[in-house]
Amino acid sequence: MWDGIIIGGGLAGLIAGIRASERGKHVLIISEGAGSLTYSSGALNFGDVVQLRSRENHPYALIEENVIQAGMDYFQKLFPDYQGVCGRTQTLFTPLGSPRTANIIPSGQNAAVLQDAKRIVLMAPEGMKDFFSKIIKTNLKICYPQCIVDIYPFRISAFEAWHAIGKPVTGMEYARYWQSGPGIAELKRVLAGVTITCSETVVLFPGLATAFSEPLKEVLSETPFPVIEMTSFPPSAGGHNLYNALKQKFKSLGGELLMGTGVQRIELQEKECRKAIVSSKGRPTAFAAHSFILATGGILGGGIEVTAEAAQETLLGLPLYVPAEWTKSEFLGEQPYAHTGIEADSDLRPVDPGTKEVLFENLRVAGRMLAHWDPWTDNCGGGVSLTSGWYAGEKL
Amino acid sequence: MSFEQDKAEILDACIKCSACTAMCPVAAVNPLFPGPKILGPDAERFRLEGLQIGTTLSYYCSKCKTCEITCPSGVKITEMITRAQEDAKMSEGGKTLQFSIRDYLFGRAEYLGKLATVLPGLTNVLLKAPLFRQILEQTLGICSEAPLPAYHTKFETAEKDRKSKKQVVYFPGCFVTYNDPLTGQAIVKVLKHNGYEVIVPPFHCCGTPLEGNGYLREAQETAKKNLALMEPYMRAGIPLITGCTSCGLALREYPGLAESASELQAYDLFEFLWELQERNEFRKDFKDIQVSLGYHSSCHLKAQGIGTPSVRLLRLIPGVQVTDLDQGCCGLSGSYGFKKEKYHTAMQIGKPLFNRVRQGAANSEFQSVITECGGCQVQIRHGSGIETVHPVWVLMQAYGFFQLLSSGRHASSELV
Repeated sequence: MWDGIIIGGGLAGLIAGIRASERGKHVLIISEGAGSLTYSSGALNFGDVVQLRSRENHPYALIEENVIQAGMDYFQKLFPDYQGVCGRTQTLFTPLGSPRTANIIPSGQNAAVLQDAKRIVLMAPEGMKDFFSKIIKTNLKICYPQCIVDIYPFRISAFEAWHAIGKPVTGMEYARYWQSGPGIAELKRVLAGVTITCSETVVLFPGLATAFSEPLKEVLSETPFPVIEMTSFPPSAGGHNLYNALKQKFKSLGGELLMGTGVQRIELQEKECRKAIVSSKGRPTAFAAHSFILATGGILGGGIEVTAEAAQETLLGLPLYVPAEWTKSEFLGEQPYAHTGIEADSDLRPVDPGTKEVLFENLRVAGRMLAHWDPWTDNCGGGVSLTSGWYAGEKL
Repeated sequence: MSFEQDKAEILDACIKCSACTAMCPVAAVNPLFPGPKILGPDAERFRLEGLQIGTTLSYYCSKCKTCEITCPSGVKITEMITRAQEDAKMSEGGKTLQFSIRDYLFGRAEYLGKLATVLPGLTNVLLKAPLFRQILEQTLGICSEAPLPAYHTKFETAEKDRKSKKQVVYFPGCFVTYNDPLTGQAIVKVLKHNGYEVIVPPFHCCGTPLEGNGYLREAQETAKKNLALMEPYMRAGIPLITGCTSCGLALREYPGLAESASELQAYDLFEFLWELQERNEFRKDFKDIQVSLGYHSSCHLKAQGIGTPSVRLLRLIPGVQVTDLDQGCCGLSGSYGFKKEKYHTAMQIGKPLFNRVRQGAANSEFQSVITECGGCQVQIRHGSGIETVHPVWVLMQAYGFFQLLSSGRHASSELV
């Protein structure tokens, strides 16, 4: 018998699992595959918390303001490599070299120093996949007109076999190599080759993710110029490293992670969830728990299935809030379908959208599947997952 | 070949996110290997049109199933690659004669075991002799540096105990039967201690080595022979238990082969013991022990979708510390790492794990490593030099049946 079973091993599920395990709970996370963190840049957005809290039903409005702050603080205490302050954004780079903002970012991605730069050196690793140095250079020149932008191509012997057959090297392959013993020495050598023609030189480095690696951070602390990491297209090292760090933290606290297999159904008894029936190979396995957290994601994550006729929650068939009108004409604007999800009470327990009656006493909902928000226009994807996950773990 | 609707639908589940290739242990170390996305769902589009591509490269897939576990969309990538290999074999493509003969032999672990255990002492002397290993490499393409496991007198259930009302059937698998019978005896002892009579019918190989070497049809035939042996026990509702995670994965897939097999209750040993624990039937008469262990989860345990029951259970023993190493595949993948063209890839794959093991042992985080898979045990010992055993030995020690886990498990006299 487990204290808690969390269904879904993305950001919300893992944070919930870490918090609950830290509180001494015996927790099992069941995840159908690697969560979407591997596709993400690793930077987390919270959005305008005060404004979003004023919106009736927004997930932030369900919980106290200090809970949001506590969730953010908790995350940064867990991972000191991440920095940020509630209500303030920081600048980082997209894979195409245009600046964007986020609230909590790996410190290596922080591009603030570019405001005072006179020269930007864009590192151009040989044969890197999805890396477009000319486009990046053009974007940098538009955004930082005071800067000279130099492209610094380099080639390292570790990937000669790739180059020989004309195979591109992904950003993740580069990032993984830099983290290895030989890679660290090679990185020092490569960076030593960058000449400083003016004192305000900043180096921009794609395919590098230093978070969670002490030796890598040390290398960068010793260079005579600041080095800024770039985010990358999926799959990305930044998101992947964060995913690994969350996973390892959870396991080190005694949590168990069951990956690659989904939950078939939940065995119920009146208003309580009793057992998660997992589709193990060949024969289903039942795991009983006192309490459950549903963090299976939204439409993209598979927690909500949408057909031409209806939208439904895939595991328990929980009633969903579904907007009357699903889409609007402006493609990149607000899209009402994004608000589809489960309505919850202040304890994150799912409620009936009509009667507001709590549906299950020992079930909480966290992350993308909560209703009434749009991660793209509200800019709070990471924030909602992180805070609702933390709170669900706190309450488990 | 006609267009197959169901195959196309499975294929459409792939959203081309590349998460599988990003996690593939072979693609990470071998640039020539295009990775699971390209060899699986991408090449499958061509295969549906009757076009075989990438067959030679597909043999570098180690069948660890990491791609299937990782895939957020449930695409059966390894299955696609295995099927493509089978099709390629029928059209005689991809492999040299030398590799075909070798893979034919590696697929038949059971017969190799029978042959090797006629005179296990002689076999072991030969397997350690550099000249013999050079000959094996030259003639059969078996890498001379590879950690071929030593053989042992064949596994027998020696003890004839009183009949218990509670019975289980034990599937030892080839590794226990021919290479590590003491672990088999330990498993039997632990089950008996928990009140079970242990029945061991004369099973054949589970079929995994055949499947891994591209002999799907033969694997299914072997499975059917085993199913026939299991039939009476299945009917009586007696659970089937194995301590080997690759056998376990294969046994769990048996129900797809025959109608009656749907009654098959195949359990991993620790999964079964955990069920006893949940029913308050697991014996916890533990002696006072102090051990710290690093745990490696084998790929085929992950693919079963049952979690890590041994870690869960061993943590119930006071004084036992278990650290989940979480460093991915060990690289061996059955006979994959024994093959001369793949040995170095296998060692590269296992490198993060070996480093983690050496580091943990060096700073006294743990004394030894545990993993259910015999192949992983062989590879971790080979790659790190640290003693690696089946987790049942921790239970043996806790029950007081066995002393000194970290030194000389192989001395059978120490079995109390």
